[in-house]
Amino acid sequence: MEPKEIDWERLNLIIDKNKGEKWGLIPLLQEVQETFGYVPPESIDLIASALGLFPSQVQGVVTFYSGFALKPKGKYVLRVCQGTACYVKGGRSILRMMKKETGLEVNETSPDYQFTLETVACLGACFLAPTMMVNRAYFGKLSPAKVTSVLAQYKKDEVER
Amino acid sequence: MIPCLFQDCLAKGCFLNGHINLSIDGKTVICPPGASVLEAAEENGIKIPTLCHHSGLEPFGACRLCLVEDENTGRLMASCVTPAAPDMAVLTASPRVIKHRRNIVRLMMAEHPESCIVCSKGNRCQLRRIAAQLGIGETGLYPMPNYKAYEQANPFMVRDLSKCVLCGKCIRADHELVVAGAIDYSHRGFESRPATVHELPLELSSCTFCGTCLSMCPTGALAPKNNMFVGTPDREIPTVCGFCGVGCSLSMGVFSDTVVEVNPSRGKNTVNGSTLCVRGHFAHDFLNVSQRLTRPLIRRDGQMSPASWDEALDTAATRFLAVQKESGPSSVAFLGSSKCTNEENYLFQKIARVLLKTNSVDNGGYLSGRSALAPLYKRTNGGDRVRSLAGLEKAEAIVVIGADVTETLPVVSYGLKRAAQKGTPLIVIDPRQTGLSAHASMRLPLKPQTDLELINGLSALLVRKKAQNAIFTDHFTKGFEAFKEALLKLDLEKTGRVTGVTPEALDEAAEYLRGKSVAFVVGGGVLEQRYAALTLDALFNLCLMTGSLGHAGAGLYVLAQENNQAGAWDMGTVPDALPGRQPLNDSLAREKFERAWQASISPDRGLDLIRMIEEAEKGNLKALYVMGENPLRALPQPDRVKRALEKLDFIVVQDILKTETTEIADVVLPGAAFSEKGGSFTNLEGRIQFFNPAVPPPGEAKPDWEILDLLARKMGSPRRFGSLERLRGEIAGLVPMYAGINEGSGAVWVVEASDKELFKNEGGARVSFAPVSSIEEEGQSDSYPLTVILGSVRFHLGSGTRTGYSGRVREFHQNGAVELSPQDWTAFGLQAGDSVKLTSAHGSVVRETAKNSALTQGLVFVPEAVHNNDARNLIGLFPLGQPDSPGWKTCPVRLEKL
Ligand code: SF4
Ligand code: SF4
Ligand code: SF4
Ligand code: FES
Ligand code: FES
Repeated sequence: MEPKEIDWERLNLIIDKNKGEKWGLIPLLQEVQETFGYVPPESIDLIASALGLFPSQVQGVVTFYSGFALKPKGKYVLRVCQGTACYVKGGRSILRMMKKETGLEVNETSPDYQFTLETVACLGACFLAPTMMVNRAYFGKLSPAKVTSVLAQYKKDEVER
Repeated sequence: MIPCLFQDCLAKGCFLNGHINLSIDGKTVICPPGASVLEAAEENGIKIPTLCHHSGLEPFGACRLCLVEDENTGRLMASCVTPAAPDMAVLTASPRVIKHRRNIVRLMMAEHPESCIVCSKGNRCQLRRIAAQLGIGETGLYPMPNYKAYEQANPFMVRDLSKCVLCGKCIRADHELVVAGAIDYSHRGFESRPATVHELPLELSSCTFCGTCLSMCPTGALAPKNNMFVGTPDREIPTVCGFCGVGCSLSMGVFSDTVVEVNPSRGKNTVNGSTLCVRGHFAHDFLNVSQRLTRPLIRRDGQMSPASWDEALDTAATRFLAVQKESGPSSVAFLGSSKCTNEENYLFQKIARVLLKTNSVDNGGYLSGRSALAPLYKRTNGGDRVRSLAGLEKAEAIVVIGADVTETLPVVSYGLKRAAQKGTPLIVIDPRQTGLSAHASMRLPLKPQTDLELINGLSALLVRKKAQNAIFTDHFTKGFEAFKEALLKLDLEKTGRVTGVTPEALDEAAEYLRGKSVAFVVGGGVLEQRYAALTLDALFNLCLMTGSLGHAGAGLYVLAQENNQAGAWDMGTVPDALPGRQPLNDSLAREKFERAWQASISPDRGLDLIRMIEEAEKGNLKALYVMGENPLRALPQPDRVKRALEKLDFIVVQDILKTETTEIADVVLPGAAFSEKGGSFTNLEGRIQFFNPAVPPPGEAKPDWEILDLLARKMGSPRRFGSLERLRGEIAGLVPMYAGINEGSGAVWVVEASDKELFKNEGGARVSFAPVSSIEEEGQSDSYPLTVILGSVRFHLGSGTRTGYSGRVREFHQNGAVELSPQDWTAFGLQAGDSVKLTSAHGSVVRETAKNSALTQGLVFVPEAVHNNDARNLIGLFPLGQPDSPGWKTCPVRLEKL
């Protein structure tokens, strides 16, 4: 898997915006996460010194929130619900299918950075169980056919580009 | 606080100080406003179990063990984070509290690994102790050990995070107390743990191995690393660290007769609080090495052979007296110790002065700038000497000049970093980037040895900005107008040229200081440089001008490298002063001692450390007594020193370890380390700290004062002191500064010798401004185009004699690489792992190299103490600067790639 190139210029721009403001850590990290798809570990020291924090503190925040990742994630993060309701309604099979379709294990990212497969404990949409999310979009009442078509959308998207 | 007037405030509530009444376990107690329920309970002798609470740290509330029940509402609250409030009524051990507390501990135990039973923390583990108190054996829960990283690659600490209860004390100690930021919580839930950035091992993080976190950890998650089984301490004995001039209070954990562990003492108002540094915490393992001297030795036919005390002391006494009789008092000299106690140094110089009639007495403090400080001491007439480090945290602004405190005096650096964290402006004046730079408001990167120009430039700028403290200069000083005129004439362009500091930077610094009373922290970079005395004068001028004297958090904080550097001077182990720093040429002072000692004392100053070597070289000095110093390693040009001392007819070395110097001795007397004897050290603040032995000396070794006491008797002294108390009694009587030394336990402060109201009340003698002096611009010579800066690394102290014997420090492999700027690195075509030879006019060293991207081109940093302190080869033995300023901080060199 190719390591991701970091666009240092862009990173520095984001960091500079928040320089000297300790409280700006979370918005800053959000922007980095959104721009790069992850918080590059190499950026931790830079962020810390710009904000007057210890690098260990920055890392603490990054690893605490599930919204931040230190490893690059795919363009599409697939979150398959394994909460109680979904589990009862066959969420386990959905996950098995997703693994087969994408060729990924849980918490794995495809070499082309297209997909990351994750599980989640309840998306708060149990009435639609079994459920999953692709980035911010919800998909409910999943069936094998529906899973294939959802995935196809995102794969197709890839072909288009 | 206003003294309490009424006895019935317990019933009625305090209206004077806002004290709060509350009921704990049905008992009415009183506590100051702002106290937590836990503090109120503790103050009143009610014990509440805690894991995450520490009085030195901000309240946190992580473990919930300190639960109490509110009698009124039935609520359960964590007492450490609940402020005490009037009319509150809590129960600390109600059935509900106990039930919940037990459950918390059961859950913790269920998460604990099986290795608990063989944990080195043993019965000192707070978790285990609390579990026992609550009667928890089997948890009755499904065990779910939380296996996490086990780290023990470094020689100092073991981290077994499976035993971590996430109390966060280590993290808070690291952030709040030592401000290293090496660790913080990482991850969340079951996964969470204290981690370094990128989860690197500690030695690759910003951890300094101060061990502060370790001493606070309530469980066995953090433990000192020992290479062999040393046993769990069976007693703890308070003592004082014998390494640097901070003088941290320690608690030594002793098993059988061996010191196996060191922690910060739990005493109140200690200089170090709950912190220590890597030396104090871990390097004490040198105490137990096989190279300790355990019996007296005498050289017979060129070979050292064991001797009885009687024989060794007889030989020492007879030979010294014979040499003195034959060649006169100027043929004998006494080198005392900035590491030995006050009592020992007093006795030492008394033997020299009274029994051998010589003033040729000095101590290792010469190497760390004592001679440069003497004129300043004279200028203030001994006033304004006592200065508590705690004051630094109250300073309005701080200037750190020539002090790499994160390496040399780590505990001082903690206070500085804490002050900076609270927003105190901190200016670092140093040619190199130091560990403080990242915390500083600004750094002035000046050229080496140009501090004098810089300080004068700064003073001139402040005068131009009319930022002097006129009230202060009017009341306490004389000669300000002339000083001001001289400053106004100063050519600031030259300042810029000589120092290499831009006018903008200088102006920014002046703005930080404008209108403030400033604390100046002065280190070896100034004290050991060739313009040391002049720079100190200029700094003191700046103090006078800004009114930075007479209160906490202002004035010159002169740092001391060695633990009893200040005390050795106070006790008269110097060639030109009697005990109490009373000048030798002051006939009143001399007469006082002559009467007390019933001996005549010569008014002529004796040889200082360097002149001792010089006279030995010339053959004029014939006998030398060395106590607790290792001149063959600590002095410049060690080979030359060795040759000089080998010429002596007779040399006695009293020490605790086999050293380069004991190798050439005729008689070796085994002394005791600080943990093995009683005595007192005076730290850089002027705090005289007493201690008692924690363990007995090894083998036949004896406390140094006892050796001296026996020797004095053999040399003809009518009687022995026989006890520390009697020794202290004599000191207290003759040395007003040490009037408190009879106290004998805890700590007392040096009584400022004279004019002590100087800067505190009007009416004391005024202090004059010293003339504004200047240095010449120097060109670099072609044959030695680079400038070496010598400096310390925190794992070693001084020449590294003791720390070099520490197994842990040795194992922590330091190659002592010399550091070069990126420009020079490229210019010399260096690559990682390359070695270079540095050659000065006096000698050379061969070392590995490292690129330091923060170093200015043309500078080379050479760490001292490592490689048998070979860095000393580079500098010349005889003073370069003025007589008072040896100038051993830098030297010109050339570099060859090997
Ligand atoms: S390592 Fe020790 S001090 Fe640190 S959080 Fe864990 S239990 Fe507390
Ligand atoms: S040893 Fe000192 S520097 Fe290292 S993590 Fe612990 S407190 Fe921080
Ligand atoms: S070496 Fe100095 S700073 Fe370190 S523990 Fe000892 S006295 Fe304290
Ligand atoms: S359990 Fe899947 S959405 Fe709630
Ligand atoms: S001691 Fe109060 S919560 Fe830990």
